[in-house]
Amino acid sequence: MLSQEELVRYDRQIMIPEIGREGQERLKDAKVFVAGAGGLGSPVSIYLTAAGIGSIKIADHDTIELSNLNRQILHWKEDLGKRKVDSAMDKLHRLNPDIKLEIIHETINDKNVLQMVDGFDAIVDAMDNFKTRYILNKAAVDKNIPFFHGAVRGFEGRVMTIIPGKTACLRCMYHGTPLEEKSPVIGVTPVIIASIQATEVIKYLIGTGDLLADRLLIYDGIGMIFREFKVRKNPECDHCGKKK
Amino acid sequence: MTIEISLHRTHRRYTDGKEIIHVEGRTVGECLRDLVEKYPPLEKEIFKSEKLNSLVEVYLNGESAYPNELIKSVKDGDKINLVYMLSSG
Repeated sequence: MLSQEELVRYDRQIMIPEIGREGQERLKDAKVFVAGAGGLGSPVSIYLTAAGIGSIKIADHDTIELSNLNRQILHWKEDLGKRKVDSAMDKLHRLNPDIKLEIIHETINDKNVLQMVDGFDAIVDAMDNFKTRYILNKAAVDKNIPFFHGAVRGFEGRVMTIIPGKTACLRCMYHGTPLEEKSPVIGVTPVIIASIQATEVIKYLIGTGDLLADRLLIYDGIGMIFREFKVRKNPECDHCGKKK
Repeated sequence: MTIEISLHRTHRRYTDGKEIIHVEGRTVGECLRDLVEKYPPLEKEIFKSEKLNSLVEVYLNGESAYPNELIKSVKDGDKINLVYMLSSG
């Protein structure tokens, strides 16, 4: 049930026919795991919190550096040196105190990932490396939890939604592991990609619209072009090939 | 057979900024070989030890060509998009 305050807070989105009061209640009942509190994780968490997702868990192992502030909009100059998850918790709680927030200051690895994502309705990929993305992808497939992929570099980004057992997963289309290096990026790029990821999460949770499933969306900010490519589930995929 | 290759922005520095390159070939592999013959500095970006660089994605007529991209057949008028993996967040 939505409280009187919630009915007012979410009034403008409850007015959207695809959401309505029922959709808003579904968002309130939902649990979303956000992997990363950096460039993608900041705007994803802000918009999911503002939209009224009932429970959000954020995992990140980093502390805040000055060079993060051009894009990691949850973190401000006064937060330098703090753990990103603490800064995230502080800002998100102030934005919407009704949301149940949980933080984990740990590196996601193949030993702790299943426990971290257990019981969640969605996993958002806001990572900065493919090694961890593949670990999350495998966990999402094994636990049957939808996985919302995003990645950025420079003025470019990409998004895809993975529904385990039904659609292509990350390993159906990727096999490489780019070197972990300092990548160029301007803050407007992760905001665009994260907004699309959050849109996909909200649509999935309320059960409306067409998801970016089996569809890789690539954004080129320099040319201001969105391109879409079809991706198919690979029956030989080492993560989801045996998944029905 | 003429095939159109659309290059990722990262690779256009080797083609004087040109995005679209027309090549000849009966498979994706032959087309990419023709491409690197025209623009030799692209070879080290697209191939690693004769195999496709695992960070390069190939889309054929708007669809992922993975896996076994290089042996996929192409026909006159087909379009190949070469895309470079992004990893940051």
